[in-house]
Amino acid sequence: MPAGTHTVVLPVGIEEIWNFVSEMNKWAPLVPGYIEHEIINENESTWSFKGDLGFMKKTVKLKVDITEWKEPTTVTFNLKGISDNFKGGGYFEAEVIDANTTKMTGNLDITAGGAMGPMVNTILKNFVPKTAEELTIAVAEKIKEEVTV
Amino acid sequence: MPAKKPAKWDREVDVVVLGTGGAALVAAITAHDQGSKVIVLEKTHQIGGTTAFSGGIPWIPMNRYMKEAGIEDSRENALKYIRRVTGDKVPDPKLLEVYVDNAYKMIDYLHDNTPLRFKVPENYPEYYGYFEGTTTGRSIDPLPYDMNEIGEYGALIRNNPTFPPLTLEEGGAKGGIDFGKVAERMENNIVTMGRSLTASLVKGCLDRGIEIVMETPGTELVLSDEGDVIGIVAEHNGEKQYIATSKGVILGSGGFEWNKELVKTFLKGAITHPLSPWGNEGDGLIMAMEAGAALGNMSEAWWYPAYQDPTFEYEDRVMNQLGGSGRFGPNSIIVNGKGKRFVHEGTTYNDLPKAFHHYDPVAVDWPNEKNNWMVFDQQLKDRTMIITMMPGEEAPEWVPQANSIKELAEKIGLDPEALEATVNRWNEQVEAGEDTDFRRGTTFFEGLQSGGGSAKNNLGKIEKGPFYAVPVYFGALGTNGGPRIDENGQVLNLRGGKIKGLYAAGNAAMGIFGESYLSAGGTIGPAMTFGYLAGLAIGKE
Repeated sequence: MPAGTHTVVLPVGIEEIWNFVSEMNKWAPLVPGYIEHEIINENESTWSFKGDLGFMKKTVKLKVDITEWKEPTTVTFNLKGISDNFKGGGYFEAEVIDANTTKMTGNLDITAGGAMGPMVNTILKNFVPKTAEELTIAVAEKIKEEVTV
Repeated sequence: MPAKKPAKWDREVDVVVLGTGGAALVAAITAHDQGSKVIVLEKTHQIGGTTAFSGGIPWIPMNRYMKEAGIEDSRENALKYIRRVTGDKVPDPKLLEVYVDNAYKMIDYLHDNTPLRFKVPENYPEYYGYFEGTTTGRSIDPLPYDMNEIGEYGALIRNNPTFPPLTLEEGGAKGGIDFGKVAERMENNIVTMGRSLTASLVKGCLDRGIEIVMETPGTELVLSDEGDVIGIVAEHNGEKQYIATSKGVILGSGGFEWNKELVKTFLKGAITHPLSPWGNEGDGLIMAMEAGAALGNMSEAWWYPAYQDPTFEYEDRVMNQLGGSGRFGPNSIIVNGKGKRFVHEGTTYNDLPKAFHHYDPVAVDWPNEKNNWMVFDQQLKDRTMIITMMPGEEAPEWVPQANSIKELAEKIGLDPEALEATVNRWNEQVEAGEDTDFRRGTTFFEGLQSGGGSAKNNLGKIEKGPFYAVPVYFGALGTNGGPRIDENGQVLNLRGGKIKGLYAAGNAAMGIFGESYLSAGGTIGPAMTFGYLAGLAIGKE
């Protein structure tokens, strides 16, 4: 299963991280290739983004369901392709190091189904970890920027 | 404008080859082996041009692989077949004989001197496999190639988004794709088809120390006062380099399908959706014209009906795609902007688009130029991969669909009554077992692996909803006209003489088959052969 996890240490308290990741509108645009998202309710949303697969880019539409909001440490979600046959999930997790330092981890897994699945998953093996890393770093940088302001 | 000899050259070589497709790489290898110092200039950031994008199959009469497979061929039969398909429309009939007499020699040469190897794919007849002179075995399939053999150059070989890494025989170009095998090859960096052909030839270049200079297009030929080609101006990062050539320049830089002005000027019909990678803008053609080259076959292209999945981009452009076999049916038709069928949908990909250019002298109109659609039903969708839609999966939102033909027509801008009447007529003809309008189910190509078309395989009612439609665009694999060449690939001037120091091959040269596409490999075969001949001849004039 194509998956990726990336961890950063931020010079901010866990509350700042929670304030950010608990608001989907804040981090949704940071997804690499983000086009748009629409919040259906507290837990459900649809997203469009353009995945960079190296020599090709693919615009995909998917549905995200938040399965757990665990303040202040964890947001867990599932995702399912609307335009294409894939599913997966992920999480953001924050861990206190001290009052002003927090470890944040982003995780993503996506698996393609259907006849083309084996071929697509070979491509996703590189794409998913890269996306997890880029998203986690982008969220971290945004949080640091907001805290500084 | 052609450039004049500079006060000082930046580099001096014997031969510059433009491009890195099949024609160019074979030319580079052959010229080198004749004793020339060769450099290759590639315009883009990737190696392989249209060849790397392609099936990589050359059509080669009397080749060694068909002999090994026990398939007989002869010069006489090859020419019979060629002449029947091309009619009397070729720009230079003697070049057909030059081709037949040398293509297999080129393959033998590459077999003996490079890692390039082929196989005769099983059960793959010629596109007109009922004409006299036909045989199987002329279209040869490159064997899979391990990209690790070319080290860092592997990453430079242009990716092929059209064909997965299977051979033709394994289903790379036919139906029935084994995606598990595809995944395994991707993991192990094993390539097939155009990428295999390109990578093998690149290995041939690397083994010879032939320098391939990336992102460095040739921009102007340097001519002597007598009009001979004595060098070329190349550009890299905005800086010009004057490269002297003691023997000459071989243009292997592809056609002009991405140059809208040249397409409008020369071609008999539009190419709105080229199927080649961006970069083929007629650089070689323009330089040759500036040097006084005569031109041939300029109205022609390797036509192909093109499709799009708008969610797929290749190099930041929505990718134009081949689209799969849906047009052969059975439960599909192609209609024009008036909602009417206008062509046998299952003819060869080069033949079908000729109907787009049709002029109606009664209506004084070109009825097939706008808003053409492939219309099909759920039966076809359940059975066949169409563009990127797999059977069994829901159609994506970019595919218009509706529960009735009239509703579908409204969605795609066609007259609902007209489209319904067309579909009804089609269904009646299917019921009667014969398409009397366009004779679907009667041509060889629409049933290539099953002995030819048939009512059973190619005629099916469009009756089970939902009903779908996808646009059919004016595509081409490349253009097929360019500088006139002689039997050595040397470019001829307007008075019929030779331009000293200038050669051309592949889509950068005049196509030798007129408006025809003989069979699989009908472009790459002559491209490689005239690249070979140009490499042999350059400097010997």
